[in-house]
Amino acid sequence: MLMCRDLAVIASDYIEGDLPLTQRLSVRTHLMMCRHCRSFVANLRNSIELMKGHSDQRLDDRYARRLDEEIERALASQSKDGSGPDQG
Amino acid sequence: MPPTREHDDEQQLVLRLQAGEAAAYREAVRRYTPGMLAVARYYTDHSSAEDIVQECWTRVVSAIASFEGRASLKTWLHRIVANQAKNSLRRSQREVQTDFSEALEPQLASRFRSDGRWSQPPQLSTRETAESLLENGALGDCLDKHLSQLPEAQRSALMLYEAHQRQSAEVCNILGVSTSNLRVMLHRARQKIFLMVEHFQETGQC
Ligand SMILES: [Zn+2]
Repeated sequence: MLMCRDLAVIASDYIEGDLPLTQRLSVRTHLMMCRHCRSFVANLRNSIELMKGHSDQRLDDRYARRLDEEIERALASQSKDGSGPDQG
Repeated sequence: MPPTREHDDEQQLVLRLQAGEAAAYREAVRRYTPGMLAVARYYTDHSSAEDIVQECWTRVVSAIASFEGRASLKTWLHRIVANQAKNSLRRSQREVQTDFSEALEPQLASRFRSDGRWSQPPQLSTRETAESLLENGALGDCLDKHLSQLPEAQRSALMLYEAHQRQSAEVCNILGVSTSNLRVMLHRARQKIFLMVEHFQETGQC
């Protein structure tokens, strides 16, 4: 039988839908009977969402402009070589 | 890949990049650089990562002509960064210094009795959504703090997966880690965040 500790180990896979059917079913059965694990899964799901929302770091403006300049330089030298695309 | 709007967008962008359109590069830089930095950060510190990504963008200018669309543009860019980082940093290759033999964070593992049931069950109170939780700025700061305490390589793998590349096979490929290591790394990091949020809700402190 699946114990709470076992469930904690595979909870992350369960949330992502990565478990094989039999394991998924035993997680569901356990969750029906165990409120502690229900709140664990709910809270873990929340933590995952938190991280997704949080991890989208914005790009530093100065750095982005530095990249623009480097790229423009590379584009210019490429078209001067004649090896680059025809700029019309 | 089924034709999606995102896919069409990307194809349009690729064509414009291949035509050498500077505006297309500015757009691509803003769309893809955060993910590229996450890849580079797996291998090195912040400022070297910026240098590596910069070199990659200038290489992209000549390499984009040979882009055939077999992988997505994003994945193609991530691979370029990974290769560049591996080449320039061969000497100072970082290692992921985490114990992957345990599936549970020690702090979480200690909350079970020896028969496998909870001895310190989780709080029942979290009915708030992630969004409403983040409206509390202090929690965001706390999350930052905890993320920054993760080992560098672990953190960038996490960021890469959660924010930029949802396919674990690609992440493993780009970073050269095994599927099982990536899995445990993700699970452990999530457990840490779970513990952090719980503590924060209980005490109001980070
Ligand atoms: Zn349970």
